[in-house]
Formats: sequence, structure tokens, C-alpha cells
Amino acid sequence: MSPATPGWLLRPETGLCPCGCLGKRRKGSYVEKTIEGGADLLRRVMFTDDVAARDGLLQRVDPRVKVLGLVALIVATACFRHLSALMAMYALASALALASGLSVAFFLRRVWLFVPVFTGIVVLPTTCSFLTPGTIVVPLGTWFGSPVGLTNQGLTSAGLVVFRVATSISLVVLLTITTPWPRLLDALRSLHVPRMFVLVVGMAYRYIFLLLASVTEMYTARKARTVVDSRDVAGGRGFVSASAGALFGKAHATSEEVHQAMVARGYRGNARTLHRMRLGPFDLLFALMAVVVIASLFGADRLVRV
Amino acid sequence: MHIPDGYLSPTTCAGFYAGMTPVWATAGRAVRRVVRTRFVPLLALGASYSFLVMMFNVPVPDGTTAHAVGAVLVAILLGPWAAVVAVSIALLIQALFFGDGGVLAYGANAWNMAFVMPMVGYGVYKLIARRCPLTARRRAVAAGVASYVGLNASALFAAIELGVQRDLFRSANGTPLYAPFPLWQTIPAMLLAHLLVAGVVEFALTFGVISYLQRANLPVLRINHRGIADRSPTRATAEPRSDSEPRPGPASGPAPGTRPAWRWAVVGLAAMVVLTPLGLLAGGGAFGEDAPRDLDLRKYGLQGVPRGLARYSGTWSRAVLDGYGFGSGSHPGVAYVLSAVVGLGAIGVIVFGGLGVGRVVSRRRSREVA
Repeated sequence: MSPATPGWLLRPETGLCPCGCLGKRRKGSYVEKTIEGGADLLRRVMFTDDVAARDGLLQRVDPRVKVLGLVALIVATACFRHLSALMAMYALASALALASGLSVAFFLRRVWLFVPVFTGIVVLPTTCSFLTPGTIVVPLGTWFGSPVGLTNQGLTSAGLVVFRVATSISLVVLLTITTPWPRLLDALRSLHVPRMFVLVVGMAYRYIFLLLASVTEMYTARKARTVVDSRDVAGGRGFVSASAGALFGKAHATSEEVHQAMVARGYRGNARTLHRMRLGPFDLLFALMAVVVIASLFGADRLVRV
Repeated sequence: MHIPDGYLSPTTCAGFYAGMTPVWATAGRAVRRVVRTRFVPLLALGASYSFLVMMFNVPVPDGTTAHAVGAVLVAILLGPWAAVVAVSIALLIQALFFGDGGVLAYGANAWNMAFVMPMVGYGVYKLIARRCPLTARRRAVAAGVASYVGLNASALFAAIELGVQRDLFRSANGTPLYAPFPLWQTIPAMLLAHLLVAGVVEFALTFGVISYLQRANLPVLRINHRGIADRSPTRATAEPRSDSEPRPGPASGPAPGTRPAWRWAVVGLAAMVVLTPLGLLAGGGAFGEDAPRDLDLRKYGLQGVPRGLARYSGTWSRAVLDGYGFGSGSHPGVAYVLSAVVGLGAIGVIVFGGLGVGRVVSRRRSREVA
């Protein structure tokens, strides 16, 4: 699988939030952007498949142990009160990434392109004494007689938030990029997440790609029909609404067909699965390491007073 | 609006998971009762659809584009409970697979975008559209307005969640541990962006999709609108073609799928109940509600407490939870929440007791008439 995906298909772009609330705003045609968005989604999926197929440390761990271990690390990250504990956790995440065959450049880019854009800029004003009163360490002058500057508390708080976000994102990336999606769902199921829920998630994930193909076809056809790149906003909105409406029609028709196919194969409303997962000594070692790391970092974090 | 991990404290995240669990359970049961074995494929396709709706770029006048969330759209098409499950799953796939929105913060994100947004939006939609025909323009406008309101309600919740972290979680020397912005900063920042840009995009997409379906694919719109006529009766008589479908006339009474309109008022009240602990953070007091001893006499140019005020202010001095606190003044937080619970209970007893009495009386009367 891994050598099948050529490098140019996986060229990374800034990790943006699909809700559009952050990231760079390129002025481009909505048609092209939607097609690019679809391609970007596929690119990420292919990249994840490639990474999950590599032979690395995290790829060898049983998905159940990995889910529990990494979620415990994320919870511990959320509980830390010292910058040094967070930094240690970040270093640990980077080491895990290296041991799992991820390039350092990718790992840093995936996290630090996102963090400064959103977190960094938003957090910046709170380092000032206006928003976070405290001991001023970098004086910036006076305002109506009272000194103004960056406070110790403000800077520490900004550092805490930035590192916490970066570490949590790194850990989630590690979990999802080293586990094939079906294995992740298997793990969730054997951890007693309701079976029906896991079934719906799995099926939803599968049909995203089918529906994405229809979207890409609609938009490519639109692009093929477009002679001049006009800025017809109202017409564009009409097209977007119509394509979203048509997509819903398609999705609903597909769900009916899928339902009939399921019933025809004997589905009576219960999910049945085959699962054969066995814990090896390697998994126990990983779990033990996770417990030791969390206990020691957490202990150090709570014993040292601010 | 996807909150990443690290902004909310673990206790907040746990609280939202705890809050969402009954919502998910109710939603699952409500949807399953209606669609039975169709449950899995319908919700799976609904979730894929709501995932992809967030990828549609909607052109905005200045040449840029923006995305919509689409939760209210899904609520109008499939029903609010189905939307809760579908959008939750879309958010889960985003969080797990695309690192968009945190794993710990997933409960909070689901609360904002998969519960508050479709519920508030659907309430507004029902309120405006009422029982007007399926192809009426009013229905499309109602859908647009509903999505605008729903999105902003959701953004308000996100702003509150981010804004309270600073006051609730600090280290010993006053360093905020999580999101460091105060409420007065998060609420305007979130609401300005959503009222002016994102809400408009949401309106455009929802309005557009509903009016497209009214023109091109009415059967899809009928899924969640049982018992509502396609066209207004006057026009329907002019078009005998549409007579092939059975349409419930006024004599058939309300269809089995309809529910009382006040249901949505209950949802709104429940949201306010959940928000009650916010009062603990508010500083100062309300104007004109001070006890005589707390009055700032100099501010109003008074020499002493006015005689009438002094005489009548102590008329009722046997309040159980005076000033929303225990008499001893201990545990103000617990006392405040307890006051809220007691108040709610009292109002509930009065309202539902009154309703029950009214129902019994009216039933007797109708029996006498019969």
C-alpha cells in the first residue's frame, strides 16, 4: 500500500479547520476551493493509510491499549499545571512520533502551523497587564499613571495554553495516524462503546467517500461549463445550495437502498461483529510505560508548588 | 467553532460528556422508535451528509468564501433528534480523523454544535413556519432564520465555555490555567464574527437548500413534515393534478406526528436552567434591589433611609434562603445552586399543578356535555 501513493499526491497543506473559522483566506473561486477541499480530504486519508501501514512502535501496539494509553496521556496533559511538565509530555510525543516512522518535519508542521495561527494570535493580548493583572516583567510604559506591560502570570498562562494545545493535538495525531480506521473502530467497540454507535460511525465514514465523489463530479462539471471566471455571487450561492440539496436527495436514496440491501442479507436491527484481538507482552509493556510516565509526570507536577 | 483540547479544563470536559450522555441516549431512542431497522443506514448517511455540508464553500460578496455548519438544515430535513446523532458523528470523525476539535473537548463541541444548534434552530423553525404549506416561501425563510439563530446560540455557548475558564481555574499566583480570555472578550469576539459573517452564510445555505428542494425534490422534504399540505388549499383546487396523493383535510385532525408547540419553550427553559450557575460569576448587584442597609445614600443625595422604605422593607423577614444563601452565609455556591433548584421545583409544582387541575376540570366538563 505505502509505495503506491506518489509523493506529489500527498504534498501537505496547512491543516485548516473545515468550519472556516481559522486559517489563511485565499481569494479563489468557490468551485475550485470545494474541489481542492475534496482532494485534500482524500490526500489526508491516503497519507494516514500509508503511515498506519508502516512498521513502527505505535503501529505494533494493540489498538485498545493504544486508545486507552494515549487518551490517558491526553487527560494527564489537560491536568498539568506546570509548563515544564507540558514540555516533557511534548518531548515524549515527539519521541513516539519518531519511533513510529513519522518524519519530524511532518510532525512539527502538522502541529505548529495550526497552533500559531489560532492559539498564538488569540492568546497574545492576554499576556498584557490589562487582561491578566500580575507582576509586570516586560514594562511597556504607563497608561493614566499606572504601569502597563507583559505580566509574569500572562506569559505563563499563554505558554500553558499554547503548549497544552500543541501537546494534545500531537497525541491525537499520533493515535489516529498510526491506527487504520477499521482497527480504531474495533478498539472502540471492544472498549464498550455502544455497538450500534460504532456501526453508524463506520458506515458514515465509508459513505463520506461515495458522497464526496458526487460532490467532486458536480463541481468538476460546473468548472467545465464555466468559460469566464465571473464573480456572480448570487448565482454561485444558488449553485451551492442546489448541489447541497441534490446531495441530500442522493444521500437519502442511498440510505434507502443500503437499508434494503441490509435487510435482504438478514439484518434485523442488531449489529454482529467478528473480533479477534489478543494482547501480547509488547502491549502490556506499552501500557506499563504509559502508567509509569503519567504517574511520574503527574506526581512531579503536583509536588512542585508554583 | 471547534474548540481544541487545551482550552477547557478536564472538569469542564467531563461535565459536558456527562451532559451529552443522556442527550445521545434520548436521541438514539427517539430516532430508533420512528425508523426501526432503517436507523443505521439513515443516520450513517445523515452523518456523512452533515460532514460534507461543512465542506461546501459558499461565496461571500467580497470574493472570499466561507463554510456553513448545516446542523439546522439536517434538523429540518431529518428531525432534531436525528440531527443530534448525525452531527455528533460528523464531529467525532472530524475530531478523531482530522484533528479538528479536541478529543476531550468533543463533549463540549457536541453540546454546542450537535445539541444546542439543531434544537434551538428547529424550535425557531417550527415557531415561524407553523403549519404553512410545504412549498410556501415562508418555510424557506423560516429555515434560513432558524439556522442563523441556531448558529449564534451555538457560538454564544462556545463563548461562555471559553470565557468562564479564566475565573474558574487558576493557579496559586493567579495564572489562568486554561483559556485565558474573560467573558467580556469572548462573547463579543464570537458573536460579532457569527452575527455578521458565519450566520449570513448559514442563512444563505439553509434557505437555498430548502427552496431548491421545494422546487426540485419535494418527497425528500416530506420525510420530516408528515401531515403538512404541499400547497395552500386555494391553489390546490386550481391544480387538480396533485389530487393523486391523499392529503389530510381539516376534518382528519392533527396528524399523529405533530407535537405540542410548547415543547420548544421547555427546551429553552431547560437551557436557561443549565446556565444558572453563571450567576455565581456575576459581580455587583442589580439596580434598585439593595436592602436599606446596603444603600449608598451619598450617591443619591439622601440624608437617611427614606421612612417608607425603612418601614416596609422588613415586612417579610422569614425567607428560607435569604439572599439566595444560607442564613449563616456559609457555602455561598452550594446555597445559590440549591436556591435555584428549590425555585425551579416551586415553579414546577405551581405550573404543572395548575395544568393538572385545569385538565381534570375540562375533562369533567366535556364529560358532562357528552
